[in-house]
Amino acid sequence: MISHLLGLLRVVAASFKMQAKERATNQFFIGTLLITPIIFTLLSVGSYIYAGKTNFGLYAVIGAGMIGIWNANLWTSGRIIEGERRGGTLSMLIAAPTPFPVVLVGKSLSNAAASLISMAMTFATGLIVFRLPVDIANPFAFIVSLLLTLAAMTSFGLVLGSFFVLTRNAGAFIEVTNYPIFILSGLMFPLTILPLWLRPLSATLAPMWGNLALGTAAGLVAGNPWLIDLYLIGLSLVYLMIARPLFAKIEHRVRQDGSLEVF
Amino acid sequence: MSAIVIENLGRNFVTTTGTIRRTQKTVTALDNVSLTVEPGELFGLLGPNGAGKTTLTRILSTVLLPTSGRAEVLGLDVVRDTKQLRPRIGMVYGGERGLYWRLSGRDNIQYFADLYLVPPEVSRKRIPELLELVGLTDRAEERVEGYSRGMKQRLHIARGLINDPDVLFLDEPTIGLDPIAARELRTVIADLHKAGKTIFLTSHYMYEVDALCQRVAVVNKGQIVMMDTPAALKQLVANLEVVEVECLSVSPEAMSRLRAHPRVEAVHVDNRDQIQVLQIQAPGGVGYVPEFLQLLDGASIQKVVTRQPTLEDAYVKLLGKDAISV
Repeated sequence: MISHLLGLLRVVAASFKMQAKERATNQFFIGTLLITPIIFTLLSVGSYIYAGKTNFGLYAVIGAGMIGIWNANLWTSGRIIEGERRGGTLSMLIAAPTPFPVVLVGKSLSNAAASLISMAMTFATGLIVFRLPVDIANPFAFIVSLLLTLAAMTSFGLVLGSFFVLTRNAGAFIEVTNYPIFILSGLMFPLTILPLWLRPLSATLAPMWGNLALGTAAGLVAGNPWLIDLYLIGLSLVYLMIARPLFAKIEHRVRQDGSLEVF
Repeated sequence: MSAIVIENLGRNFVTTTGTIRRTQKTVTALDNVSLTVEPGELFGLLGPNGAGKTTLTRILSTVLLPTSGRAEVLGLDVVRDTKQLRPRIGMVYGGERGLYWRLSGRDNIQYFADLYLVPPEVSRKRIPELLELVGLTDRAEERVEGYSRGMKQRLHIARGLINDPDVLFLDEPTIGLDPIAARELRTVIADLHKAGKTIFLTSHYMYEVDALCQRVAVVNKGQIVMMDTPAALKQLVANLEVVEVECLSVSPEAMSRLRAHPRVEAVHVDNRDQIQVLQIQAPGGVGYVPEFLQLLDGASIQKVVTRQPTLEDAYVKLLGKDAISV
């Protein structure tokens, strides 16, 4: 039992490392990691400053950072699965003794770790271009919230990743969902401007709670960041509980359809 | 206990055509297939493109579900017992897909060693051995994207062996390789067989199956046409002689006349660039060469050779016109 668990942990570590190596050779991903956060920070903070709402600067930086995390983590996960399918390795991964979600955890964690660079880039852009001070009210809570946000995004990635195995257009799917997720999670505009009927949908999204946890820890939003962190933990567990049976069903479906190698 | 048991296995694929008015069509890839493979046997599945060879390999390696019937590998059901079965089998698909091109050869094998939960102390020893076996030791640190087709295929073999599988599925492993690379790969396969592995090999190269396999099943349109040893298959054409005529510009009418000749049992046309090679199977064929050439009136005859039948001729006889696609 323990050796099996150690074996699975090794798979997570190997997938993490493998993803990092692949990423290092992919200039497109490097662009996503470094350039996208700068563009989003310029657009987002610039819009608030143009509107005369300079006190929203840090809020906009955190939102842009979350967009960077989303891009680096989930958007890339979609692209990874699409790439695995095209490269013919997806069927190999599915047919390996390791459950595919374990592989996805390693790959997603690798992307999550890389996405911290995105967050750093947004803060650096805010600081250099807009002279926005990094004035975090509770730095410790901010770091914990950031790590829990990454964990929640990774778990969310497992749920979406299962669907990506099902579709041959994972990249296009995530492309289409990008902006609705940004808006529903309050990464571009405050959630208060959304109609009330949309709010329950927002509550199911990890980026929304991550953004709220970071905003609260930074002192931009009133509230206790630790309570939101607890919610993030709960949400991660719910995602994990959904991902496991969901993937079992999806694996059966793709074996039935014979769609693993179709692209 | 047999290594592989297949009983009445069937597999249909549903394809959809049209955008607005979508119509579904069911294509039968495997139809009531039954066979067994014994432990340590090198079994060949021979058939033209689209015969169902790859579908059968995918089902046995747990990537695809059958529509009907059942299949067991090492006594484990390929549908239900995947958790127990997957660590004990290896699969090697032909072609260049299935590898991480941006990683080195060694990284590729190491990653699959981890995926197959091979203990680190074992993989540390096994990876150099496998690289040596497939002749990639010197190029192991290079990215796969710089490998030749043959090197990629050999890397596939090393990857498929990383878990020291009891049964190895090789799906057209020499497809697209140059003759030297294909010969080297066949040597590797023969060595694996000598080492006691059960090997399930699909191919559409007759000489490959003839050289390697102990038994062979000929499959066409999802059904097994015949299953026996290569020698027994050759017996099908033992009373025949084969007349090979290399020619240019054979008309369909001339072909019809040739096929209608009372002594001719089968004619296989092999197009080689602009030359057509007609393989005419006929009992006592040598004596009828002048008649055959007369029937081909109008074609430019380049060369005529008579020879004893091979497994390929048995295959042509079994599949008739479907063998042309080979």
